[in-house]
Amino acid sequence: MSSSDLTGQARTNREFWNRQADEYQATHGEHIGRPEPQWGLWQIPESELRILGDVAGKDVLELGCGAAQWSILLAQQGARMVGLDNSERQLEHARPAMAAAGVEFPLVHSSAESVPLPDASFDIVFADHGANRFADPLLWVCEVSRLLRAGGFAAFSGGTPFEWIGWNPETDTWDDRLHRPYFGMHRWETPEGSVEFELPYGAWIRLFRRNGLEIEELREIQAPEDAVTTYRTEEENAWAQRWPMEQIWKVRKL
Amino acid sequence: MTLSQHAQTNREVWAKNAAEFREPGKRNWAQPEITWGIWHLPESEIGALPVLAGKDVVELGCGTAYISSWLARRGANVVGVDLSPEQLATARELQAEHGIEFPLIEASAEDVPLPAASFDLVISEYGASIWADPYLWIPEAARLLRPGGELVFLTNGLILELAWSVESERVGETLVYDYFGYHRLEDPKDGSIVFQLPYGEWIRLFRANGLEVEDLIELQPPEGADPGRWDFVSNEWARKWPVEEIWKARKRA
Repeated sequence: MSSSDLTGQARTNREFWNRQADEYQATHGEHIGRPEPQWGLWQIPESELRILGDVAGKDVLELGCGAAQWSILLAQQGARMVGLDNSERQLEHARPAMAAAGVEFPLVHSSAESVPLPDASFDIVFADHGANRFADPLLWVCEVSRLLRAGGFAAFSGGTPFEWIGWNPETDTWDDRLHRPYFGMHRWETPEGSVEFELPYGAWIRLFRRNGLEIEELREIQAPEDAVTTYRTEEENAWAQRWPMEQIWKVRKL
Repeated sequence: MTLSQHAQTNREVWAKNAAEFREPGKRNWAQPEITWGIWHLPESEIGALPVLAGKDVVELGCGTAYISSWLARRGANVVGVDLSPEQLATARELQAEHGIEFPLIEASAEDVPLPAASFDLVISEYGASIWADPYLWIPEAARLLRPGGELVFLTNGLILELAWSVESERVGETLVYDYFGYHRLEDPKDGSIVFQLPYGEWIRLFRANGLEVEDLIELQPPEGADPGRWDFVSNEWARKWPVEEIWKARKRA
């Protein structure tokens, strides 16, 4: 997709991730490059959360695959993977990682807001703080529904409405005050220069249902007591033991 | 009727509170329009309810039964259930005054003496939806519904509860309570107990009871709207964060 076809946020985030990719992989690559699939900020094993289940023989699409840490592990478990990312620099990190792991699957350079893949071609579409966070849900949820086969499901971990309302713009961290309104939450131009998205709980529910997706689960992740992460400070982990900073939606195509 | 500990406590509290709810009950019965919550937001704008004519409806925690009266006037076959005989006495008075009759049953929503699969709609507004334990009343609501029937209830906004000050009896802008594990809040003054759950927990509870999630409508009052006698929240707060939210779920066919 040429960059002139992108929405404003897709262009901004493509540039952001092209700038950030090397540093991101240097900072977090080891944390998220574990031998088994793990979710989110605190890298909680899929074997514990059991969101995706058995992927062997399934057609699986990862939205915002970055250096393809997740996709590589799922391919090794027998999934027919496709990895999508909006940043070509992130995908340049994915290719040598795939070669090193000895797996081969298509990588698609695209925004999740308009995906150049056919309708009803996946059993599972998922993201782990991926495109779901950096693309507009009003656009990508529609795409996910289109890409899923009937009976297939989508699962994605990301931020939460509490993360949105509890973030203090003056200190650039979270505390126990209500800083930002709940109503109207949607698009956030972060101090780092990216554009991120979050919706009220009810808006997510309506958006899924409008797109023919039945709500199976909202798994709110409490930071583990012994949380280890390269993404958050100790104080932020303590906040996330009290209020949700990460959640995983799971929805199924009717 | 065997009552849970909190149901007994809440029943005693409502015995004292009922007199205070007589006048608002009277006003609500006289109101032609169906509205939601403390700002009386019109159902014609919210759209939370299905077509009512000919439907079998049970209201859990009906209090003075004004909601039931609105639904009865639109052709629904309504049954009101409430734990408080004092509240039901007001409801009976208002039934007589308005010439609208429907059955009123004294019972907790946690254990309803009505047959399974006998209703198309289970509704609650500031009723069982806040005063009964969801782990007990949601299974009862699911049991009462016919396949395809709907559960619609209004409850306190979760953010409101987490930012609630029991001392000032007002909502603040500080999160006082933890989200994880949130379940009940006891009023230290009168000992009454209200319930609320994390969003994900509601969804798990619905699905475990054969209910599909249909909607969650967070209510936002218009600018300058007057909450009347309710002074626990400012319009400014309520414009930013939800004071009330309506869940909708449907029993699997």
